[in-house]
Amino acid sequence: MYEIFSNKEVGPDIYHLVLKCEGLEKEVKAGQFFNIKLSGINSYDPLLRRPLSVFDFSNESKRVEFVYKVVGKGTEILANYNPGEKLDLLGPLGSPFSISDRQSANIHLIGGGMGIAPLYLLAKKLKDLPIKVFLGAANKAELDFFADKFKNLGVEIHLAAMEEKLEIKGTALRLWDNYLKSELPSFVYCCGPEPLLSAVEIKALKEKIPGEISIEKRMGCGFGVCLSCSCESRNENEKNKRACVEGPVFAFGEVKYCE
Amino acid sequence: MSDKKLDLRTILKANKGDDLKLSNPLITASGTCGNGEELNDYFDINKLGAFCTKGITVDAQKGNKTPRIAETAAGIINSIGLENPGVDTFISEILPQCREYSLPIFANISGYSPEDFLTLADKLNDRPEIAGLEVNLSCPNIKGGGMIFGTDPEKVYQISKKIREIYSGYIIVKLTPNITDITSTALAAQKAGADAVAMINTLSALKIDIDKQEPLLANTFGGLSGPAIKPVALKMVYQSYKKLEIPIIGLGGVSSGEDVLEFILAGASAVGIGTINMLEPTAALRIIEEIKSYLRKHKIQKLSSLIGAAH
Repeated sequence: MYEIFSNKEVGPDIYHLVLKCEGLEKEVKAGQFFNIKLSGINSYDPLLRRPLSVFDFSNESKRVEFVYKVVGKGTEILANYNPGEKLDLLGPLGSPFSISDRQSANIHLIGGGMGIAPLYLLAKKLKDLPIKVFLGAANKAELDFFADKFKNLGVEIHLAAMEEKLEIKGTALRLWDNYLKSELPSFVYCCGPEPLLSAVEIKALKEKIPGEISIEKRMGCGFGVCLSCSCESRNENEKNKRACVEGPVFAFGEVKYCE
Repeated sequence: MSDKKLDLRTILKANKGDDLKLSNPLITASGTCGNGEELNDYFDINKLGAFCTKGITVDAQKGNKTPRIAETAAGIINSIGLENPGVDTFISEILPQCREYSLPIFANISGYSPEDFLTLADKLNDRPEIAGLEVNLSCPNIKGGGMIFGTDPEKVYQISKKIREIYSGYIIVKLTPNITDITSTALAAQKAGADAVAMINTLSALKIDIDKQEPLLANTFGGLSGPAIKPVALKMVYQSYKKLEIPIIGLGGVSSGEDVLEFILAGASAVGIGTINMLEPTAALRIIEEIKSYLRKHKIQKLSSLIGAAH
């Protein structure tokens, strides 16, 4: 059980949750997630935990942070938790982004909607490299919190919104695509809805640029037993990959998209 | 009463081979615990009464398209579609891992035809790593599959009888609740020589996504499990207990010591825990403590003395 330090609304229906995690022994890596129980003790509604990607983690201050949008029953319950209350978390779970062999320049991070959240901890780990961040959401209000955080890291960021013109009016994909005309990256990380992942991957592979995506799948357990979040491998001879164990981070070309 | 005197052991009587002695009544429900490895990261699974593997088929299966899981009030609807590596890989890769555990392990088998079940029973016969088979005559998630056999007492009898002729270990026939009278298929399994029956598998169910205005699961229908189905499962165990001579493994939504006790009082000799493991991987340890605390409170030494006591 981890105590809530803060749980504040930082955008329209978007919340920033900070937990104290003194008892946590494992290191938390960018791209990993925690599975949060939102029914009370001896209560089973909602039955399943809700997986949230880690937005930020500090081993020194023992804080783990998440950014989530209220989209349904689970997140609605979560938004009503107050500082001082405790949450039952499983994790850290899943395979993280690979960052150890990223000495090369020109790394692009592309995030759409709440898929932006896990890219922050990643950017923090890569911030000594010349990285460029491309973020898209419905409107500016959904991006403000993220934009400030990324700016504070001192990394270059580009913003797009569907409903109003920022750098462009449109998706993160179009924003990035425009930029590709002037510079090809050497590695790409992407998180967001499947159409974004799929399109970024197709473009990158065409230019022979390697990269990784983080996929969101409907999960059951989050630790590999139920096979609800299976992703079909692109390699016909390989068995399915579990988004919760082998993922949620996959290399470009590793899994098929379907939703 | 001191903890040392509390006796949680249960015996699954066999009609042919050796009785199975379980250190406690908890058995993992197939498909909710992988093949042990994942759960063993959270606790020593030897603390369970027995373990039941994820369902296996003759050939490898990639399973159904996603979404494969939907949530409902105190329950989930799944349509995984028996994703598994096939029996040969099961024997070469998963059975060797089973040697690391000291508890009885059941291999859950599923088929698309009666012949599939016989092939599986034959390939798994005399495998020292497993204590027996759980014959899944009730999977709702495969086309033309298990549940079709499981709703017809005559087919349950025929398939169980043929498996009995081939397989010498312990045989559990897992029954579907999607039937008017579960005692008809339970009696058919008993008549065919099954050692025990497990009831219930999931209830056939549907979830509709109102934004997309279509069924949420890619496979349309799925199987409902979790606390929502417990009263249905319990009723079926209660209803079957007096009619059967073979042991019943009761399962369906078991999440607490109280639930286990209800199933035992209704007549189950052992109890499956499934969906709860997905949200609380160490649930078995908590449930065992809750059972012990009940026994202490009621000054009961032997848990098995309660089997069927509610009748």
